[in-house]
Amino acid sequence: MTYDFVEPVVFALLSIGLIAGGVAVVMLNRITAAALLMAFTFLCMAGMFVLLGAETIALFQVLIYVGAITVLILYGVMFTRFSDRPRALFFQRQTPLAAVFVAAVAIPVAIVALSFTSPTPRPGGGDLVPLATSVFTDFAFPFEIASVLLLAAMVGAIVLTKRDDPGESALRRRR
Amino acid sequence: MPVGPFGIDPLIWAPLRLVIAVVLALFLVLNGALLQIYLERKIQAIIQDRLGPYHVGPFGLLQTFADALKLISKEDVRAAATDGWFFVAAPALVFCPMLASWVVLPFAQDIVGANLNLGLLYLTTLGSMTVLGIVIAGWASNNKYALVGGLRSAGQLISYEIPQILALVSVALVVGSLSMVDITRSQAGPFVNVLFLPFPFVIYFIAALAETNRTPFDLPEAESELVAGWLTEYSGMRWGTMLALSEYGNVTVVCAIVTTLWFGGWQGPGVDAIPLLGVLWFTLKVYAFIVIMMWIRATLPRLRIDQLMSFCWKGLIPMALVNIVVVAILALAFPTTKIPIAIASWLLLAVFVAGIPLVQRRRLRALRARARAATAPAVRAAS
Repeated sequence: MTYDFVEPVVFALLSIGLIAGGVAVVMLNRITAAALLMAFTFLCMAGMFVLLGAETIALFQVLIYVGAITVLILYGVMFTRFSDRPRALFFQRQTPLAAVFVAAVAIPVAIVALSFTSPTPRPGGGDLVPLATSVFTDFAFPFEIASVLLLAAMVGAIVLTKRDDPGESALRRRR
Repeated sequence: MPVGPFGIDPLIWAPLRLVIAVVLALFLVLNGALLQIYLERKIQAIIQDRLGPYHVGPFGLLQTFADALKLISKEDVRAAATDGWFFVAAPALVFCPMLASWVVLPFAQDIVGANLNLGLLYLTTLGSMTVLGIVIAGWASNNKYALVGGLRSAGQLISYEIPQILALVSVALVVGSLSMVDITRSQAGPFVNVLFLPFPFVIYFIAALAETNRTPFDLPEAESELVAGWLTEYSGMRWGTMLALSEYGNVTVVCAIVTTLWFGGWQGPGVDAIPLLGVLWFTLKVYAFIVIMMWIRATLPRLRIDQLMSFCWKGLIPMALVNIVVVAILALAFPTTKIPIAIASWLLLAVFVAGIPLVQRRRLRALRARARAATAPAVRAAS
């Protein structure tokens, strides 16, 4: 007995979840629902990575995107007032323009995807060591650049949000 | 014909061990929660010089069963202004990652749901997903206490995840694997990892207390400030799933990680002769840490939210970074022996423990000086 049929079925389910979730994120008016569906989309994406044999990337996808970024988005939503009320979509007037842009991106992608026939490489688990080796050897410089960028963003965020407490600074001057 | 563990055909053994793991996980989650609530009450009672539950059953053992029956038979109450789907989905979002993380816990030799070679990363990933459910619960309850609880929880859990992961990484560096089974196997005999890496263990244990919302870090559900925090609007079995099952399940998972990474997991006397004895050793070790967590809960007062954050960002994270740099350098410099790492780790632990009173004294002195400076003009004006 073989289990070859399992993989296409899982792939189909994940694709449906991914596409439906992505469409719902864009179409829904309620921002919390969109955030939660975004987490669902990220989970489906992680499932795709597992199917491709890239478990490390799948786990980091969940760890960072579901565990941190979605939570931060929800965190931000909670600080804004009345943001959970249904609202008209922002992009309604630009529908024809958006359709042109979508077509310009989607048609080449579809052509490439349908004409792509080479078999996908299957590392088949244990991809942590090659990933780490390439990050710390071939891609060490981009990796460091990315961390410097993140540091700059963090410092910028602190500078923008830091307010001097008047009482505190007066106290410091007196000392 | 190939013969697997316990002389069973591998083709049968593969699904069978999954069944055993799932049964064990469900058994431990459901009954573990009951047992842990009983233990929690009894231990707190002993420490506070009370009797604790003693009416129902021998030694009050059936008290939590009665409570669980009450919870299950309770009416499903939902406030009118709660946010429909989210309110219902939140308990599941908290519960499912916890249950899924039991897959990789090694209960005994060959009794593992799945021996993932990224088991440790898988556990931290699922641990980070719990926050989502808590934040959604806080939002969907449409209640200011619940919202504040959810926000606190998001801040606290995201912050304490960093030292937690950094502490785990230093163990993975020394062992050279992320698989829970390999980490257990690497600690043969009496030389368990805690002897070499006591400092990451302390960091992890403190951060784990915060991750599982245990006192002294139970700010998201601080009763005296927030009613019940993000759980305020929940009742009946929704509350039971969120608090009893998920919280105690997470406590068990965290203690299982501690046991596996630092205390040799299922290894113990007589395991080589009788492999099933591993389950007993594993459970005993896990419950020892659960009892320590309860002891801490009964001993320490709750932190304030600013103290909680500054302890994480100014205390735990820098120490965890120092730890990981030291361990990485020593692991590269001395690839054959663990003794330099052990010496460095014990030294760091001593510095950490000795440093806390020094830092605290300086902080208190500064606070006192500031308070004096702030009140001085008022006193002068009044006189």
